[in-house]
Amino acid sequence: MSLHHAYVGIGTNEGDRARNVERALAALSDFGNVVRRSSLYRTEPWGKLDQPWFLNAVVLVETELPPLPLLGALHAIEDRLGRVRGDRWGPRTIDLDLLLYDEADIDENGVQVPHPRLRERAFALVPLAEIDDRFETLRDALPASDLAGVVRVEAESDKPMLQERISSVSERVRTLARFLADAGAVRVRVTRGDEDIEIAMRSRHATQEPEAPGRPASNVSSARIDTIKAELVGIFHLSRPAPVEGDLVDADRELGYVEALGIRTPVHSMGAGRLIGMPAVDGAPVEYGQPLFLLVRG
Amino acid sequence: MIANRGEIALRINRACQELGVSTVAIFSEPDRDSLHVRQADEAFCVGPGPSARSYLNIPNIISTALITGCDAVHPGYGFLAENARFAEICGDHGLTFIGPKPRVIALMGDKASAKRVVREAGVATTPGSGVLSSVEEAYEAAESIGYPLLLKATAGGGGRGMRVVRDAGELQRAYAGATAEAEASFKDGRVYIERLIRRPRHVEVQVFGDDFGNIVHLGERDCSVQKPSHQKIVEETPAPQLSESARAALHEMALRASRHVEYTNAGTLEFLVANDEVYFMEMNTRIQVEHPVTEMVYNIDLVKEQIRIASGEPLGYTQNDLRSRGHAIECRINAEDPRNNFAPAAGTVSKLVFPGGPGIRVDTHLYAGATIPPYYDSMIAKIVAFGDTRDVAIARMERALRETLVEGVHTTIELCLEVLAAREFREGRYDIEFLPNMLASVGGLSLR
Repeated sequence: MSLHHAYVGIGTNEGDRARNVERALAALSDFGNVVRRSSLYRTEPWGKLDQPWFLNAVVLVETELPPLPLLGALHAIEDRLGRVRGDRWGPRTIDLDLLLYDEADIDENGVQVPHPRLRERAFALVPLAEIDDRFETLRDALPASDLAGVVRVEAESDKPMLQERISSVSERVRTLARFLADAGAVRVRVTRGDEDIEIAMRSRHATQEPEAPGRPASNVSSARIDTIKAELVGIFHLSRPAPVEGDLVDADRELGYVEALGIRTPVHSMGAGRLIGMPAVDGAPVEYGQPLFLLVRG
Repeated sequence: MIANRGEIALRINRACQELGVSTVAIFSEPDRDSLHVRQADEAFCVGPGPSARSYLNIPNIISTALITGCDAVHPGYGFLAENARFAEICGDHGLTFIGPKPRVIALMGDKASAKRVVREAGVATTPGSGVLSSVEEAYEAAESIGYPLLLKATAGGGGRGMRVVRDAGELQRAYAGATAEAEASFKDGRVYIERLIRRPRHVEVQVFGDDFGNIVHLGERDCSVQKPSHQKIVEETPAPQLSESARAALHEMALRASRHVEYTNAGTLEFLVANDEVYFMEMNTRIQVEHPVTEMVYNIDLVKEQIRIASGEPLGYTQNDLRSRGHAIECRINAEDPRNNFAPAAGTVSKLVFPGGPGIRVDTHLYAGATIPPYYDSMIAKIVAFGDTRDVAIARMERALRETLVEGVHTTIELCLEVLAAREFREGRYDIEFLPNMLASVGGLSLR
């Protein structure tokens, strides 16, 4: 009923850029379902040339939020992720731009959608055209010199280019999750040496189910939202049957567990509520204080 | 895995980077913006501010090491560095603990057992008695040890249950007082006698051993400039005004004790030196804060050596291959207020300038804008000066301290300058009473 389609541009030019994008995606899933995502693109800085290079992507988000609250939510994510690491030292960790919102043409309260400079920006149009062929014409109209500044980061060449080492399980899990999303698969298992990693994709369409009808965004924003965080460092898993966003959960429902040193420590709902976000990835490492579940109480 | 914070976490990260070893940092919530978090390849939050729940949280630290695929754990100094159980747990999970064997940590970590063990190896310890059961026994022990002496509580600490006894006439009253005070303070009235070593110097010897029985020393460090709380402020190597016979005895005793316990990796044996007599005090089974002065004069990277030795390599050199050159001094810059009984000063550093130039090294995790959390050690930087001679090193240190600017918190920079300017320090004739006396003397310190 009230599901809208929004294209969001993601840009980051500081720190572990690929990880910043992943964190932004996890945060976005608190406000909607990321139903399509472009590849990652390495782009030279736009406007101010004394900045380091960017990693860019565009995602299609299905959301119940109207344009203004969605923009507010994007700014909140920018602030939250930007604060995480040394924001005081330089460029913003993450930029989120609302590029398009349904077929809307909005120019009010400082909000302009479609994004006013979308037509000039290769770093937005190139990934956008990749996931929505309606924009291929606009992309192809860009000067060749602009297009040359936006280079797709292949899954394999991604790491060396970013000067990162896939040196840990967490990196490998993230890489696999990306592969999974790109391939449109639901489950992948990789065995190498004594290592055995299996990753499954959870449904992204929970809120479309009849028992969880879409509700006006104002209800969500005015209700109390509790974040259930990890106490232990370990591998996070969703309990089976896996909870999905939109679920109404009981007071002591076991939503997931953290596996550490061979011991599974359950994560409970700590009170009844509606599950509105699951920012942690099933099967991925979590650190102390990392948000696992977002619940609207009452 | 770097199981520490602050400058030593950065120091370990630097060694790993030069060796091409990937690193995983751990941090507490208030340390999220800390430099060691930014510079490690990966970083995991392991708990909230208080150390007991973060930097001492063994389950979360081990779990982090395992899920990130670490091979080894470097504990730094402090926190879990001398925790034999932690070293053992690392081993149980297939992680190499970068340090000595858990058995040796346990043996040398306990002061009483360490003294017993080194005596077996023929190393001198402060002459003392066993636990005394009566004042008659005390008289007997005192006769053989000699006056002046110290009565000390077995359970003691902070000077409680401790009495100085100058002659036999004072013993009876002191014995009664010490036992009563110890009973009241610790619910344990047992006391023992130790010879009072007046105005000793605190000199320590760096040792290094591998898994193949090779052990070398890397000279000594004089750490006699200590606050009344016994925290070191200025350290230097070689120790000034030390007779060559005492220096040789120190090195020889350190090697003998280390060989006796089959010591591996980096360690430090602390001695009291008075009138050229040398007494073993305790051993630190880890890398020390003041290790850089040794690195400067031996031109060696001790942390890299720790990692290399822990991975099973032999030392590859003998005592004869090791030659020290020149003189090095370290000043500890702490965020604390020397005018106010060294009260720790937490806060945000607004402006920051560190020194540079010939012969200067700065090890710090500080940056302008950094917040100093209240939970941890107050040390914020170590400034190290090297020179061909002691005079050159002192001159460099003085100009380096004057170049240094830390705004936003109180520091010990001025105090270090006062130490360097003092006649006793200039002449190299100072002992552990030097700094407490300087702080106490009216007008002796322009700070006060």
